[in-house]
Amino acid sequence: MTPTFIETKELRPLMKELHSKGMDFLRDLIGIDWGEEGLGVIYMLENSSTGENLQYAVRCADREKPQIPTVCDIWKVAELYEREVYDFFGIEFTGHPDLRRLYLRNDWVGHPLRKDYDESEALNPIRLESEITEDVQRPYEIAEDAEMAKIDKETNIIHGDQYIINIGPQHPATHGVLRFRLALDGEEIRKIDIRCGYIHRGIEKMSEKLTYPQILALTDRLDYLSAHQNRHALCMCIEKAMGLEITERTQYIRTIMDELQRIDSHLLFLSCAAMDLGAITTFIYGFRDREKILDIFEEVTGGRLIQNYNTIGGVQADITPGFAQKVKEYCRYQRDKIKEYNDVFTNNVITRKRMIGVGRLSLADAISYGCTGGTGRASGWACDVRKRHPYALYDKVDFKEIIYKNGDCYDRFLVRIDEILESIHIIEQLIDNIPEGDYKVKTKPIIRLPEGQFSASVEGSRGEFGVFIESRGDKSPYRLKFRPMGLPLVASMHKILKGAKIADLIAIGATLDYVIPDIDR
Amino acid sequence: MKQRNTYIGKILFSVSSLATGLKTTLNEFFTRKVTEQYPENRKTQKISERHRARLYMPLDENGNNKCIACGLCANNCPNGTITIKTKMVTDPETGKSKKMLDEYTYDLGCCMFCQLCVNVCPKDAIAFNNDFENAVFDRKKLIIKLNK
Amino acid sequence: MFSFNNITTAIDEFLNSVLPAQGALIVECVLVALCAVLAYVTLAIVMIFMERKVCAAFQCRLGPMRVGYWGLLQVFADVFKMLIKEIISINRSDRVLYNLAPYLVVMSSVLTFSCLPFASGLQVLDFNIGVFFIMAASSFGVLGILLAGWSSNNKYSMIGAVRSGAQMISYELSIGLCILVVVILSGTMQISELVDMQRSGWFIFRGHIPAFIAFIIYLIAGNAETNRAPFDLPEAESELTAGFHTEYSGMHFGFFYVAEFMNLFIVAGIASTLFLGGWAPLYITGLDAFNNIMDYIPGIVWFLGKTFFVIWLLMWVRWTFPRMRIDHVVSLEWKYLIPIGLVNLLIMTLCVVMGWTF
Repeated sequence: MTPTFIETKELRPLMKELHSKGMDFLRDLIGIDWGEEGLGVIYMLENSSTGENLQYAVRCADREKPQIPTVCDIWKVAELYEREVYDFFGIEFTGHPDLRRLYLRNDWVGHPLRKDYDESEALNPIRLESEITEDVQRPYEIAEDAEMAKIDKETNIIHGDQYIINIGPQHPATHGVLRFRLALDGEEIRKIDIRCGYIHRGIEKMSEKLTYPQILALTDRLDYLSAHQNRHALCMCIEKAMGLEITERTQYIRTIMDELQRIDSHLLFLSCAAMDLGAITTFIYGFRDREKILDIFEEVTGGRLIQNYNTIGGVQADITPGFAQKVKEYCRYQRDKIKEYNDVFTNNVITRKRMIGVGRLSLADAISYGCTGGTGRASGWACDVRKRHPYALYDKVDFKEIIYKNGDCYDRFLVRIDEILESIHIIEQLIDNIPEGDYKVKTKPIIRLPEGQFSASVEGSRGEFGVFIESRGDKSPYRLKFRPMGLPLVASMHKILKGAKIADLIAIGATLDYVIPDIDR
Repeated sequence: MKQRNTYIGKILFSVSSLATGLKTTLNEFFTRKVTEQYPENRKTQKISERHRARLYMPLDENGNNKCIACGLCANNCPNGTITIKTKMVTDPETGKSKKMLDEYTYDLGCCMFCQLCVNVCPKDAIAFNNDFENAVFDRKKLIIKLNK
Repeated sequence: MFSFNNITTAIDEFLNSVLPAQGALIVECVLVALCAVLAYVTLAIVMIFMERKVCAAFQCRLGPMRVGYWGLLQVFADVFKMLIKEIISINRSDRVLYNLAPYLVVMSSVLTFSCLPFASGLQVLDFNIGVFFIMAASSFGVLGILLAGWSSNNKYSMIGAVRSGAQMISYELSIGLCILVVVILSGTMQISELVDMQRSGWFIFRGHIPAFIAFIIYLIAGNAETNRAPFDLPEAESELTAGFHTEYSGMHFGFFYVAEFMNLFIVAGIASTLFLGGWAPLYITGLDAFNNIMDYIPGIVWFLGKTFFVIWLLMWVRWTFPRMRIDHVVSLEWKYLIPIGLVNLLIMTLCVVMGWTF
């Protein structure tokens, strides 16, 4: 699908109109440097009830001071997306309340994803001193005609006289290097400032210099708990662009492995959520059972976490002879163990007290923040890509989309537990019927994509994982964008956390289930 | 058990849910333990054949490797892990000079085990083996010469 | 039955015969302190090892297995490591209080520990308000925790300390109520008498329902007093990294650690003294042969056996439940435990007045 270009002046009226017509889900907001034609942004919109997709693009020819009006008052998630684009391309979003860099340091020189970026090390040496925490936000005046942009006033994000506490970047409950600055009133949270980028590796920038098979190796390292699905998405996108038909057997293997990965991820989710709430025993039970999936992964793919299995046109190696038997045994085993988790943790009165009614995310907010995956479904949004835009074999198998209503921590937790059972159900339908055939289609040694824009998305373990490729016919993409599953989840914390307690922050963070390398890329 | 919203109902529900939890852990107290005692179980532990631990060159029956020094693996490596030095050797019989492998160095410390080098090799001259115990004190020891 | 009184009296007489009365007293004090501290450390090591193994068993693991046979030397290795670690000092902390806090915590727990009746005559202090003294001594441990949190110049520590203050002071009430139940049942506060009375039947049996309820509440409140899961909010490692002792290292941290374990022992020890008969053996009326066999088991074994059983119960609880939230902790105490405890106290009084006890 190619985006429709519109003028910057038309942007806000059009977007407002589309939003009121039901295009309420901003799937992704992609910044691109089109070289001579200027810098621009692609808006990928979706109607959350009908699944209708639209793409619009805005271009700004002024490379010195590119300005585009913000849409973050229309879709709340755009606030962080636009900060990312500002960080990488230097596009200023007029009307944005808090336009700071999102991933890179405040003292970074230049905007790295621009094609005219100066990579010399003299400009950005390896800095050994800590970054000074910037506590100022510079909102741009809302200006409908987009030419009035000027810094309105500077305000502090968190005032100095508040009791500020840092959760992260090194903290047991952030599951990685994410940092929250909290302003507290006693145990209650008054304000939160999210700081990402501690594990930003510039994967999108690196991809512009790597060949397509080489990029595949990086996808496993985005969300390491959706390694298989991430790779599936990129392979699908490349195969779609090349017009490559993959075999039925590959589809079966990919679907089964995707679901195994989902169980793996959800098991890790429930163990870690339990540990964050202090139930260390449940954590060990979850890991004990996850080990069995990892053993299966190791046998088939050779890797436990970084599996490296999907390749363009198929999979790396055929499944092993004992695979089906082992998976079936595992499925039976896991079904029984779910009851144990429920007995020891889920139904426990302490857990219920800590989760029920805590961290509510309403349906409207879930869509506006683009919280897909288990989080969105806990709020009642039927956002499963497997149902919305079926890929692989998902239109052939029978499975239920788990949807809860309350959108609190407990529902988010239950969604995942039910999804484990649903995934087992999918695997059991497929495992006995894997057709004979090639596990891989032969491809040319050097893979070039035709010119154009391609996108694909899959249901990752924690939301919609999307790939967008703009190709100019080379061995490597002109621009590659991954839609992070975790960034919208983290964005929604602004909303959820107001008035919660520190202990709730832990419960909310645990049940939102973000993975930091996926947010930071 | 259904939760009742009375004072006593809440207490009863809480106690019963806590008791269920206690029963579950007590069961596990007596089950077989799952710990694998790693260095002690070296002999019995099973590692999948496909596990990628370190690159090596399989030798044929004459003790020669199959590498033709084409450099495809080095070109395909995203991290520049592989460097190949070649030499020109003149065949004594035909008198033709031929490019031969001189030194094949592999930096284990930079490798991310993406398997592209193995996939691309036209002669199957390199493969991954299961030697996973690669911890060393000096980074330089991770730079390995593969051909003997 | 064998009593340690003979030995202690013998030592006392011997010292008095070779030394003037003042000197004998001083030597005795030093000896007693030495014994108490030695017992304290030994039991702490046993308990740390036990915690690791019990926790591992609940989690389908083996626990430490490497250092020594079956991991038996693991704790010694840990202690050694802790001893050689540097005790760091923190910028802009309150030096005096920062260094004082761990000692306060340990002092309170050693003081309480020395009141426990290990066996007949094996008790440092035995006077008519012994139970009262134990409560008073154990409750100033919270002061050490508060000071540790306040003086560390760390926000996590501060939150942990404030939580612990709210929690420990609340739960002291429940502990008091439970102990009162026993005091009403027995009519005495002297520990040796309390145990003696239980030779004919443990209080948990003699006081039946109210005593049993008091026992359960005591265990819950005792668990909260020792800051162990599900009441480990002052430490709450996934929220506050390590809570009040975040900034402590080396042996200063070791003191908190040991004190936490020994407080658990003390809670269990008091529970076994008040409810399970302390060093008194188990008698079943009518079975004289059985009772005679029970007499052969020395009192100290009875006491330690019961105490470690209670410890195991508390460990079981700890390794099963998730952590509570501070408002739930406080509401559990004020809305549930205290009302129930008060009603229970009333029932017990009624029982005693009407003679409905055994």
